[in-house]
Amino acid sequence: MRRLWLILKTDARRHLKSPLTIIIYIIIPVAMTGLIGVIFAPSSGDGTLPPIRVVLVDRDKGLASRLFLGAFDAEQVKKMFQVTTAGEAEGRAMMEKGKASAMVVIPERFSLDLLEIKPVFLEVVKNPAERFLPDITEEFVQTTAVMLSAAVQAFEPEARGVRAMLDAPVDAFPWEALAPELGKAQKKIASAAKYLDPLLLNVKEEKTKAAGAKVNLTRTDIFSTILPGMAIMFLLFIVQTVMRDMISEREDGKLRRMLTTPLRPSELIGARILGGWAMGLSILLVMAAFGTMVYNAHWGPFGYFLTLVVVVSFWSAAFFALMNALVRNRNQAGVLSAPIILGFSLFGGSLMNPEAMPKAFRAVGIVTPNRWFVDGAAAVRDGRFPAVPLLILAVSGLILLLLAVPALRRRSTV
Amino acid sequence: MLEIKSLTKSYGDVLALDHFSLELKKGEVLGLLGPNGAGKTTLISILAGSLRDFTGGVSFLGKDLFSDRSLKNRMGIVPQDMAFYEELNAADNLLFWGGLYDVPRADLKKRAAEILEMVELSGRSKEPVKNFSGGMKRRLNTAIGLLHKPDLLLLDEPTVGIDVQAKVSILDLIRKVGAAGTGVIFTTHQLAEVEDTCSRIAIMDRGRILAQGTLVELIRLVGEKDIVEITGEFAAAAFSEALADLDGDGVELLSASDNQAALAVSDTDRIPKILDRLFRRKLAVTDLKIKTPNLEAVFLKLTGRSLRD
Repeated sequence: MRRLWLILKTDARRHLKSPLTIIIYIIIPVAMTGLIGVIFAPSSGDGTLPPIRVVLVDRDKGLASRLFLGAFDAEQVKKMFQVTTAGEAEGRAMMEKGKASAMVVIPERFSLDLLEIKPVFLEVVKNPAERFLPDITEEFVQTTAVMLSAAVQAFEPEARGVRAMLDAPVDAFPWEALAPELGKAQKKIASAAKYLDPLLLNVKEEKTKAAGAKVNLTRTDIFSTILPGMAIMFLLFIVQTVMRDMISEREDGKLRRMLTTPLRPSELIGARILGGWAMGLSILLVMAAFGTMVYNAHWGPFGYFLTLVVVVSFWSAAFFALMNALVRNRNQAGVLSAPIILGFSLFGGSLMNPEAMPKAFRAVGIVTPNRWFVDGAAAVRDGRFPAVPLLILAVSGLILLLLAVPALRRRSTV
Repeated sequence: MLEIKSLTKSYGDVLALDHFSLELKKGEVLGLLGPNGAGKTTLISILAGSLRDFTGGVSFLGKDLFSDRSLKNRMGIVPQDMAFYEELNAADNLLFWGGLYDVPRADLKKRAAEILEMVELSGRSKEPVKNFSGGMKRRLNTAIGLLHKPDLLLLDEPTVGIDVQAKVSILDLIRKVGAAGTGVIFTTHQLAEVEDTCSRIAIMDRGRILAQGTLVELIRLVGEKDIVEITGEFAAAAFSEALADLDGDGVELLSASDNQAALAVSDTDRIPKILDRLFRRKLAVTDLKIKTPNLEAVFLKLTGRSLRD
């Protein structure tokens, strides 16, 4: 183990002494992401978020629904949301065409149920083609629901009183009875907070299953979507560059010399694979940090993302260990590695959105690490644990490693 | 200290080592002399443990060299290749290779400084090796093999492609290492190097040792005869035929190839007679050199060809 660490430490020092290649491989994907992002991202003028287009479907048309709709009329909120009132079918059609980020459905009997202190649900239908704007809408509705819920619970007796009055005909509405209810209500405003839990009013989330919804990404979405694809492509180049040392050492006699020392072949192979893995991991994290700093890219929960990065770096190291054990010399490795990496990138979704690729390309893509990393990164961005991509990358990486070790052992002696 | 018994190694149909046997004592500097393809590098590679599929055995310090890994720490290898990291400086290279040889961390820096001093690189120890000249790189290559104070040092053509000054420095180092008690085997095809450096010389060709001994012992093999090298315009067969009747009359044909031949003569008086025979056969002679007995003559006599072939 001591010798293994010595090799790892020395390799790291060597790469840091001439880091130009690695720096270039970090800068290129970040720069390419910027370039592609700038070309394809929608411009929002001053760089702030564009107004979020929300469709409001009011099936209730009662007192509470008016109050709720009123929340969207506040001056600050108006800047944020562009609200259209429509029927549900029309709202769904607008989302399919990419003309709305979310639809908020106020159910029938919304006002009556609230006044009767019954739980009710506001339905938020999110456009799946967009990443953040529907979430912002949901957050806003959630906040409004909390406030409305608190208000209704705090004023429960008064609400029940008002509810009774609502049954009276309009011309016989007992206006004089309304004043005491409002008086009592005032005293309760201060203690409203303790009624916040449990919430009376809840938000139900739904994503439309509308096929062919038009993608309408924000600038940040674009960078967050492009960067993982670029990062994995250049990660493969970097890992191969680092692991090609195995061939150089074989060609220039360092491998033979190392094996004349007490160093065991297994220690050397372990050091080489661990070195490639560690380098890939570090570089990918640096790229992610760059992405966050430069583009405000969103990666999702760090633990999930780190797990994905660890596994994909391991896969890359195992793959190139095997490849370098099979090729005869540096030239062969150079000739083979570039087309392989570019092929992985093309079919695996590094160069274009997998959803936009022909079906045959998508089918080939499932054998590439790029595809699983891109899919995994998208899942992590959505806050989900990327179980399937991780499983596939880890298992295939282990298989590659098991094939690489004996091949490298054979290569280490003549 | 080292006993090689009947090592045999072939690459396909080519026999690189043919029942090769050799012994080396502590502090002995053995020059292994042979032309390209003689099997020198194959021998070093087997001893270094980087070649497999051979027969025969090697005992080192009384143990089987190939089954006792601890012996690797007792042996230093200086390969023909410049096997070190060019991005690192000389000191860092020594620390790395010393670490692989299990030199204790506490001693490693001190030992690296000593060895850099010994190979006259201490002033450049912090400079990336890629900036070094060929000679400096050779010296560093040698230093790496000596760092862990081995009992046996194997050098495979350690002076290839370097200037005279660097060559002298390395040969001097080899002599010092031998004098300090380390057994040394170094391969070369430079006669002058072994003449000046080695306590014993072994001449090998086609995987076998043809003769071995001190320089004086080897020269005795060709007797007191002078060597006559003849260059001209003739076929090998015609040359041999022209001098056939002089065989046994103080003239011995050592080698003959088209346009070049070598003879051992007991007396230079024989030279006019030799030329007469050649002219009668209309074989043109353009150059003739007379040499006193030396290792090259021994080599010619033993192998029938020059080291340059």
